[in-house]
Amino acid sequence: MSDAALRTPFPERASAALKDGFLQEALTIATTKFIDLRRESFAGFPQGEALRDQARAIKEATLQRLDAHLDRLADNVERLGGVVHWATTAEEAREIVLRLARDRGVRMAVKSKSMATEEIDLNEALEHAGITPIETDLGEYIIQLAHEKPSHIIAPAIHKTKGQVAELFSRELRGQFPADPEVLTAVARQALREKFLQADMGITGANFAVADTGTVVLVTNEGNGRMVTSLPRIHVAIMGIEKVIPSMSDLVVFLAILARSATGQKLSSYTTLVRGPRRAGELEGPEEFHLVLLDNGRSRQIASTLREALYCLRCGACLNVCPVYRQIGGHAYGHTYPGPIGILLTAMLKGNESVRELAHASSLCGACKDVCPVRIDIPRMLIELREHLDRDKIAPWGERVVFRAFRRLLMSEPAFRLSARAGRLLQRPFVRGGRLRGLPLLFGRWTRTRDLPPVAARTFRERWKDLR
Amino acid sequence: MTARADFLARIRREVAKTTGQVAASTAPRPPHPGAAADAIRRELAERWPQALERFRQEFERVAGIFHRVPTVEAAPPVIAAIARERGARNVVTWDPGALGFDPAPALAREGLAVAAVSAGQESEAARVRHRAEAAAAQLGVTGADFVLAETGTLILLSGAGRPRSTSLLPDVHVAVFGRDRLLESLEQVGVMLEALHVDPDRATSGAMINFITGPSRTADIELTLTRGVHGPKEVHAIFVEAP
Amino acid sequence: MATPVRASLMITCLGDVFFPEVGVAMVRLLRRLGVEVDFPEGQTCCGMPLFNSGYHHDAAEVAARTVRLFERAEHVVVPSGSCAWMVKTEYPGLLRHAPALRAAAESLARRTYELSQFIVQVLGLGRVESSFVGKVTYHDSCHLLRGLGESASPRALLRSVPGVELVELPGADQCCGFGGSFSVRLPEVSSAILDKKLANVEATGARCLVACDAGCLMQMGGGLTRRGSAVKAVHLAQVLAGEADA
Repeated sequence: MSDAALRTPFPERASAALKDGFLQEALTIATTKFIDLRRESFAGFPQGEALRDQARAIKEATLQRLDAHLDRLADNVERLGGVVHWATTAEEAREIVLRLARDRGVRMAVKSKSMATEEIDLNEALEHAGITPIETDLGEYIIQLAHEKPSHIIAPAIHKTKGQVAELFSRELRGQFPADPEVLTAVARQALREKFLQADMGITGANFAVADTGTVVLVTNEGNGRMVTSLPRIHVAIMGIEKVIPSMSDLVVFLAILARSATGQKLSSYTTLVRGPRRAGELEGPEEFHLVLLDNGRSRQIASTLREALYCLRCGACLNVCPVYRQIGGHAYGHTYPGPIGILLTAMLKGNESVRELAHASSLCGACKDVCPVRIDIPRMLIELREHLDRDKIAPWGERVVFRAFRRLLMSEPAFRLSARAGRLLQRPFVRGGRLRGLPLLFGRWTRTRDLPPVAARTFRERWKDLR
Repeated sequence: MTARADFLARIRREVAKTTGQVAASTAPRPPHPGAAADAIRRELAERWPQALERFRQEFERVAGIFHRVPTVEAAPPVIAAIARERGARNVVTWDPGALGFDPAPALAREGLAVAAVSAGQESEAARVRHRAEAAAAQLGVTGADFVLAETGTLILLSGAGRPRSTSLLPDVHVAVFGRDRLLESLEQVGVMLEALHVDPDRATSGAMINFITGPSRTADIELTLTRGVHGPKEVHAIFVEAP
Repeated sequence: MATPVRASLMITCLGDVFFPEVGVAMVRLLRRLGVEVDFPEGQTCCGMPLFNSGYHHDAAEVAARTVRLFERAEHVVVPSGSCAWMVKTEYPGLLRHAPALRAAAESLARRTYELSQFIVQVLGLGRVESSFVGKVTYHDSCHLLRGLGESASPRALLRSVPGVELVELPGADQCCGFGGSFSVRLPEVSSAILDKKLANVEATGARCLVACDAGCLMQMGGGLTRRGSAVKAVHLAQVLAGEADA
């Protein structure tokens, strides 16, 4: 999202999303479908719960020796003839890719879906340098043509109707295409096939990297991940440092639950294991393989309250069940990563100030934690984040005053009783038919759309003497 | 760009701050992967009929098309029939050595143009020619190095005579395999991968391993499932009964 | 004759001020079930609003006060899943820096029960006699369902009432949109979530919507009356006490 758009307060962005009829319908259909698929998949998979526990343990264990695993990964990648780059910041990562592209005379790069490259705004940097990045994941291709950002971690164009896609393709690809997903998919297939065959560079993310063997793993469905890592002469993979895992035995634990969590599939259509550039005997494959290890704020979280967010597999399951995400969609969040985990990742990557409003974009219902394949306790971390906002005085001064006053009220029973009595008096003008309506100030936010019960004529503690 | 040592040092410092974390362990690894792999092979030598049946069910569940032939000689006619039905004119195949049979003569008899890869010919010219052939083919024939029953997955190692695109560029992918490839669980795949990587340069001549579970697919437009986005629209598996 | 079970009521701030009838129903119900009920004076709130919004130092003070107030309670019964969750799950952590208070909090956590859990687990009762007649549907409050892992007891108790016809609510486990201060920080989102919930509620044809949390009842009840719905939002205690029409 542009900085200008981010200056609109989050509640306004959320309101706009609520009024978008297309978006509302698309979100309901898509998230409901994902929820059902995931539920069905785990219902028939009794080992699933134990595997989730194991997956979480592997992530935790890996974090406890993260430097050693990254060290080993790098050694193995280099032994295979790959090159490892170390990017502390998003800017460094961009520079690495740009320099590489310039040095190798890259004019066009094909990209497989990668949230890490979204995070560092790589496309924009490439375009400014006169290099054409082509998104090849169908959803990403759609939003690239539309000059938009992804609105869901795994289904980037979830907010677009088929009619909108048909219109978009017709306009950008100069044709007349019907609102038929089969036809539109075939259009994209044809348009992109040429690009795969002609591209100088393939850019991917990485779902995992196996330290033991130097293998980068891509989990995809469309085939573009395979194209991009086999056809162009250079392959660059950009990977968050937290994606490293120790061994192949660890890998299959994650493979067992990742696709199920994301789409309800047992495995995605393609799981691709890339071990460096092509070997001597291969007719196909890149001459060069580059792995860019990206920190961008991640290491700072290893010893912080957001540590668990580093377990994230980017499956999107938490988005699908979040009552807030389901109502407002991904764009309203305003950052690369939306949904429950997105709030934590945004804080991780951009600092607590960036989630001043977003930290409260949650009813703390816990549905996210329920479905997370690695059992990240997102609600707990949201509460911790809110605690940081108070501690670091990022929360608005007025709010902090109100809550401190509220505490004083709760610490004194006489004060509590008095406020109830005061409430009873003050509410009189607003009671209609036994309900409170049209309240002013903060309470007005409630009564705009809902009634409130009035403060009881006799509170429970006042009635207790009769019950005693 | 940051120097490796500084990058890792920063992480090490952060990790050091978190002593006393909850004890957690990584997945158990086979102490002797080669022996563990052999044990799995022995087990599957007995259990292959169950594994095969399970594979068929799961493969069909992900829209794979399953065939069964008595001997390897019976495979090319099946491939030819598939090609005919799909209107394929050009076929690209792995090196017959990697396939375990040579489908080219039978396919050529059906009027198909067959581009068979030859291991050991990796010149720049050969690369360019192969790319053109693979891009022009409507059907690709490969073997399968492992066949996973639990999920209906074909696992292909790339390498000499077994290019990556044979199972990727054409509209139709046909994989031919025998009972010795079958595995039952992802966990067993993990053991096989461990064993392979003990001495990977001996185990494989390529840098890529692909797990293929059905045709290429997407649901990116309104969550409507469509097949054949970039990869094949159809995947066939031909099981050869004769050991 | 066995010593009667003794329970202290934690009425909750919302319960005390907005839903005293729920507390009354609870007292009558528990007494009918043979429980000696008392009400520790001085109680105000469990402090969850402070905790959820990140004011942990303040929440800890309220927690310490509550822990002391309920020190001598044999059992603490709460008509609210979220407050029971707060006491059972969060109090010990909030008071971790004061060992004596922490120990007291852990003891309180062990002695605290949400109402339906108290009836089923402590009283060992699977059925309750009630004069209530009608079709009801049940909403799983988030903290009771996910925080305390409870979805069976309220349903079992409802079904055990002869006059009750329990219709399962589609999306019963989906949040009602209350979320405490969330409901006023993001009122439009909260209301949009609520609308979805109420559409499901009305589609069941039930005459009462039952829940075990005052926050949920405020949110859903407020939405139901605003849209002029015939469905009434009531607490489990009221149904079981036969006071749902009160």
